[in-house]
Amino acid sequence: MDYSRPELADRLAADYVSGTLRGGARLRMETLLPAHPLLRRAVHEWQDRLAPLSTSISPQQPPAAVWNGIEARIGARPAPSRRRRWWQGVTFWRGVSAFASVAAVSALTLLANPGPAQAPIIVVLNPASPPVGGGPDVAASFVASISGDGRAIVTRPLVKVAVQADHALELWAMPAAGSPKSLGLIAADAATVVKRDKLLDGTTGLAVSLEPPGGSPTGAPTGPVLYVGKFGT
Amino acid sequence: MPPSQEWSSKSEELAQLLSRAGIGDQAAFASVYQRTSSHLFAVVLRINRDRAQAEDILQEVYVSVWRAASGFDAAQSQPMTWLTSIARNRAIDSLRRANSQPRLSSTHGSTEEGIDVYDETADDSPGPLELLNQASVARQLQRCMEDLSAPQRQSLALAYFDGLSHAEIAHRMAQPLGTVKSWVRRALQALKPCLDANGRRE
Repeated sequence: MDYSRPELADRLAADYVSGTLRGGARLRMETLLPAHPLLRRAVHEWQDRLAPLSTSISPQQPPAAVWNGIEARIGARPAPSRRRRWWQGVTFWRGVSAFASVAAVSALTLLANPGPAQAPIIVVLNPASPPVGGGPDVAASFVASISGDGRAIVTRPLVKVAVQADHALELWAMPAAGSPKSLGLIAADAATVVKRDKLLDGTTGLAVSLEPPGGSPTGAPTGPVLYVGKFGT
Repeated sequence: MPPSQEWSSKSEELAQLLSRAGIGDQAAFASVYQRTSSHLFAVVLRINRDRAQAEDILQEVYVSVWRAASGFDAAQSQPMTWLTSIARNRAIDSLRRANSQPRLSSTHGSTEEGIDVYDETADDSPGPLELLNQASVARQLQRCMEDLSAPQRQSLALAYFDGLSHAEIAHRMAQPLGTVKSWVRRALQALKPCLDANGRRE
């Protein structure tokens, strides 16, 4: 699509700001925004138009616990000189920059603050070739973008993957030592959002295996491993 | 003071508080919270009616605001517009997660619950159409509103205030998806000139 067409930008922005743009389309929009000034301006304009309508909603006092939680979190604001984490290294970004546009982070935060606050981590999952344990012929890769705070992963197939109805894809966190931890099932043909409290603790990579419909019955991968991606390589 | 006037009169003070928050002034940030949290909470709560989730979302919103405050540009946007947009976005994103989560959580023990907008029982708060009408009066949009059909207004109100997707609106109004999509789009396009004129007045 040609996002420099003003009428298209306007329509997309209207859908985005009014909230009807959903799912993959919304993620794509948030990915496009930082790089498309015209689109960004259209979004700003629709926000200016629509946000004031919300004044007709009666205010609701949030419980004190909300502010206490915020205070606790911003009080622990990390010093600017915090130590670099492995995913902030140049080596890691080399080779994956082509996929950086898949990053799904809060576009508004990005709009307002293009600084280094919370860079997402992008991991490309390549076909394990030959598939470990022998699986269907797969040429596609997945991209996983992990939010900077390590609490959400968005997986997205680069090419639609055909999975038979009696199979499902399961995402695994690979620890440096010990057995893989299931992160749940992911869609073969669409983006999936996985949210956990501590996604990255001790994790060195991600893998996708072919499992029965409800996922692995044993808690460990039972089918062939189709895709693997390592952090920091 | 009518809400629209309040919206802009708050602006200058809020913009100053935000820029102070941007350089790490926690007291200024606390004032931003005091002045704006009940509005943002109400906005979030309409879109995601699960109170516990709405509270979590509100917390995320203000943590983002604190981190992004230094990048807030008063020349570009009104503070309330900026804050409301962040809150709306987070709330809509939470629906996306909630919708995709149950499939994942059923066998994998996630703590998040799915929400079904159709399970919501009626409460005392005004319906989305009523809110749209109130906003039209407050923001002098009646002239543009007159050009809209009742279903166009209804579908826009469901989308904007309650965060319903096209598919959810189609289900709620028992209408084909394509019809609903064009209703919402036409409603937005019809309101555009009035909303723009409205923005210029402020």
